[in-house]
Amino acid sequence: MIGGLFIYNHKGEVLISRVYRDDIGRSWAADSAIFTSSGPFLGEEVNANRRNAVDAFRVNVIHARQQVRSPVTNIARTSFFHVKRSNIWLAAVTKQNVNAAMVFEFLYKMCDVMAAYFGKISEENIKNNFVLIYELLDEILDFGYPQNSETGALKTFITQQGIKSQHQTKEEQSQITSQVTGQIGWRREGIKYRRNELFLDVLESVNLLMSPQGQVLSAHVSGRVVMKSYLSGMPECKFGMNDKIVIEKQGKGTADETSKSGKQSIAIDDCTFHQCVRLSKFDSERSISFIPPDGEFELMRYRTTKDIILPFRVIPLVREVGRTKLEVKVVIKSNFKPSLLAQKIEVRIPTPLNTSGVQVICMKGKAKYKASENAIVWKIKRMAGMKESQISAEIELLPTNDKKKWARPPISMNFEVPFAPSGLKVRYLKVFEPKLNYSDHDVIKWVRYIGRSGIYETRC
Amino acid sequence: MPYLGSEDVVKELKKALCNPHIQADRLRYRNVIQRVIRHMTQGLDMSSVFMEMVKASATVDIVQKKLVYLYMCTYAPLKPDLALLAINTLCKDCSDPNPMVRGLALRSMCSLRMPGVQEYIQQPILNGLRDKASYVRRVAVLGCAKMHNLHGDSEVDGALVNELYSLLRDQDPIVVVNCLRSLEEILKQEGGVVINKPIAHHLLNRMSKLDQWGQAEVLNFLLRYQPRSEEELFDILNLLDSFLKSSSPGVVMGATKLFLILAKKFPHVQTDVLVRVKGPLLAACSSESRELCFAALCHVRQILHSLPGHFSSHYKKFFCSYSEPHYIKLQKVEVLCELVNDENVQQVLEELRGYCTDVSADFAQAAIFAIGGIARTYTDQCVQILTELLGLQQEHITTVVVQTFRDLVWLCPQCIEAVCQALPGCEENIQDSEGKQALIWLLGVHGERIPNAPYILEDFVENVKSETFPAVKMELLTALLRLFLSRPAECQDMLGRLLYYCIEEEKDMAVRDRGLFYYRLLLVGIDEVKRILCSPKSDPSLGLLEDPAERPVNSWASDFNTLVPVYGKARWATISKCVGAEHGGSELSHTAPFAISGHLISEENKERVQETPDSEAFMLVPNCQLTAEYFEKTWLSLEVAHQQVLPWQGEVHPDTLQMALQVVNIQTIAMSRAGSQPWKAYLSAQDDTGCLFLTELLLEAENSEMQISVKQTEAKTEKLNSFMSVLETVIGTIGDIKS
Repeated sequence: MIGGLFIYNHKGEVLISRVYRDDIGRSWAADSAIFTSSGPFLGEEVNANRRNAVDAFRVNVIHARQQVRSPVTNIARTSFFHVKRSNIWLAAVTKQNVNAAMVFEFLYKMCDVMAAYFGKISEENIKNNFVLIYELLDEILDFGYPQNSETGALKTFITQQGIKSQHQTKEEQSQITSQVTGQIGWRREGIKYRRNELFLDVLESVNLLMSPQGQVLSAHVSGRVVMKSYLSGMPECKFGMNDKIVIEKQGKGTADETSKSGKQSIAIDDCTFHQCVRLSKFDSERSISFIPPDGEFELMRYRTTKDIILPFRVIPLVREVGRTKLEVKVVIKSNFKPSLLAQKIEVRIPTPLNTSGVQVICMKGKAKYKASENAIVWKIKRMAGMKESQISAEIELLPTNDKKKWARPPISMNFEVPFAPSGLKVRYLKVFEPKLNYSDHDVIKWVRYIGRSGIYETRC
Repeated sequence: MPYLGSEDVVKELKKALCNPHIQADRLRYRNVIQRVIRHMTQGLDMSSVFMEMVKASATVDIVQKKLVYLYMCTYAPLKPDLALLAINTLCKDCSDPNPMVRGLALRSMCSLRMPGVQEYIQQPILNGLRDKASYVRRVAVLGCAKMHNLHGDSEVDGALVNELYSLLRDQDPIVVVNCLRSLEEILKQEGGVVINKPIAHHLLNRMSKLDQWGQAEVLNFLLRYQPRSEEELFDILNLLDSFLKSSSPGVVMGATKLFLILAKKFPHVQTDVLVRVKGPLLAACSSESRELCFAALCHVRQILHSLPGHFSSHYKKFFCSYSEPHYIKLQKVEVLCELVNDENVQQVLEELRGYCTDVSADFAQAAIFAIGGIARTYTDQCVQILTELLGLQQEHITTVVVQTFRDLVWLCPQCIEAVCQALPGCEENIQDSEGKQALIWLLGVHGERIPNAPYILEDFVENVKSETFPAVKMELLTALLRLFLSRPAECQDMLGRLLYYCIEEEKDMAVRDRGLFYYRLLLVGIDEVKRILCSPKSDPSLGLLEDPAERPVNSWASDFNTLVPVYGKARWATISKCVGAEHGGSELSHTAPFAISGHLISEENKERVQETPDSEAFMLVPNCQLTAEYFEKTWLSLEVAHQQVLPWQGEVHPDTLQMALQVVNIQTIAMSRAGSQPWKAYLSAQDDTGCLFLTELLLEAENSEMQISVKQTEAKTEKLNSFMSVLETVIGTIGDIKS
């Protein structure tokens, strides 16, 4: 149960405040109602204290000099669950012993819903859409309990052009009634499209921690399959991928196929699905079938740790020349098909705090020393597979009395590649709509793979 | 935070709201209303335009309606008479043909928190419960809970409760979940909603239709259900199996908890469940949502308490990345420290050693403490690493290493030799109180093994005048006396100097008392000193106490998936204790700072208080008169130093209490009238050193206990204790007379 929800900007000013339960401060209205009975001094004093509860969040968390100690902060016996998006803070406040994971999930959901309505969550967007946000908060939470939070369903309530109330047609009204009473909470009935189309995005983020000797300390891929569907009626979909277990099951029939696809199948450590997927079918046959929500949604989330294709290898070489000079050489090697192109490559080489000057030479792209970030940032726009590139830098240091040794933070890397580092492939996505007359062949389907770097670090 | 010129803003907006031209132009009208809400959000008091806003609610523009209702819900308690005007419009909206409008009006009406609104909302709520649109039913069901909250402790309406129980069969999933929530609040006094067999099985069958919030909530309610037979139990577990793999970590954890609780008599089932949620938990721990990752890590730690080997093979998952936020790194280090075993100890220690030189001092220190924790089992390797760290000659590292050594020699006597060799030279790199205390303690207890121990202590004795921490001086006294027993020749002279300084020049009472005590002890004879000071130097049997054996799963199962693992058991106990004492609606107590700072009286201080029996010199000055303003200012600027609850029966007689307090020189600043609830009083007193004690008494009718919060202008624990004992005596006496 959430007592209130607040949105702050980076200065700690309250942009949105919505209080659902009496026990949360900020609404002075509630304060004075309780204390009209006590003397003026008592009332005022308590009043100040209550408003403090929310202002205290600003003091203790937003303006705190040290790093955030915990995403759950307890101030005056009130728990503040906070999440930061760019420089906006969202805080859910409660006095109850709630479960933390759920509250955070709710905040993420809130962010998703807001993003679906007005794009990026920034101070400007929030200020411009603040009426909309209040409307959303009104629908999503009632008395502190989460209600309807599916963007698709919410869009029938909140249209952003609210003058419809009287002019709403009978049809639309009955739609609200049927939608909200419908058995399938995530899809309304009677959706029609002229062109039946669907988009599948396989989005993966590959995480790596590598030792200076090139030994993989830990690596995993967390991936998502996002589907955007524009399909009429109530379509039944079936999704297939190169999951090792499924392929081994099928492969028993034809030995030929096993040898062909066996190499490419992948072992998924664990996966979770959108609510619409029938889990019973997945457990028994490992087939993924569902009726999709309209518009964009996340079909599945998975994680793999075996046989990961690491798109880049970073080879660092740091040499200390005397006390005032460092020589750094970093080689990156791309490790994928030569026909593919990686994009937005950025290598970040940390430099010591007492750096006075840096000379860089790189074969490809642009490199710059950014003093404010204590790093050399090397950017390459595009790079094909099976290539190699190199940067060397001479770092001059100011002599210091500080005996503290430089901790040598790891070299981190960002990139985007047009394949799935886990090796996941979409084998098919079949659509059946029994009532309307369109078949699987009429649906236009698009599949895209994007692999991005998560935390991709090599120690040096 | 009122801004400058706020009055002008209100005036201008009022004018605009009244302007017929603006009222005619829909967009401009809505814009003005938006500005009102914006100012309200920023903390300006906009209650004076209430009348104009009520008028604005009569509109066809649904967005404008929503805004006005939001405004009304905020200010209705301030202007109850004006709010009644709005009721009419709201009632009309409740029978609008559009279900959205009906729902909105009903929701807003139930959220008006003002006295007397109940009679108006009762009928619309009852109608709403039977509305054909589920949207309205959802609102109406929660409206029942809101209405009950407004009534306070009034009678539970049996008919309404029955109606809600029957709505549990509603076909809309959100209505079902809302019914549970609503019943839970209405029946709070009677232990909440009853989950019997038909309801439980009905809910189980509906589970897959619910959204993630509903699922999590229902899983929580199902905890209450006791299956009749073993067969039924396993049926339920089978039904819920798929939720262990839900895409929502919250549902996964909720399901895990339910499994653990239901299967509390079947340890093998519990272990099996924990094995099966390993995957989802690990996924959450490495997810990109950092806050979720944090929550998951807290729960992993909880599981590790019972099954230390559970995540050992996945230890690499808990290695820290450079760019992760601080709080995740700290949790991961704790996890690493707990999952260590023979196979991975080498790698884990290597990893932790890397963290010790991290730029963030906090993180580095946490890593060192973690190595200290591992040292209890793998002593040699860890002591070697710690010794190497001393070589870096970093202040923040050295102090923590020395503290780790201090704790370690108690538990693992076999490492004393190694520690003693490492110590010389450290003193140059320690500046803080904790580190100095640890070093001095080690030198005192194991001084006979460290050749230059007396000379290091001599440096401290020489600089004692400029030493800022009294705790260090106390430690120095004890350590030097201990060392004197084993190496009298080298220590006698400086012990004399130190005692002389402490008794003659020292200003801190505690240090002086400790000095005097040792001086008198020495006068009695050396045998007596030995008897008192020569405690055992280490105690391996404590290892068992410190490192508790595996705790059974059932000891924490009920805390799983709550805030307890996030805050830690001890911290949660303090937080929830305060909430309990405060009980229900009243927000009056000033315990806020108390909850943040935790134990102000640390264990050490308590000990010291007992050791200094000289505190009888405590005196309160008569006629200390403070003005109410001064009191208020001081009160707000201070933190609560002490809190206590005393039993109290019946009414308060303010006059009697005031008289009694006057006798012991405690002045009353302000007091509620007799019989008011809650009853409060503010007291002040001053002792002979000029330290002020400000006190708040709080009595709530239903609690039959008096809550006392004391603030102090100077932090002196022993004075505070004396003051509390005086106050307790007075209140105890008055309470006794009456009962």
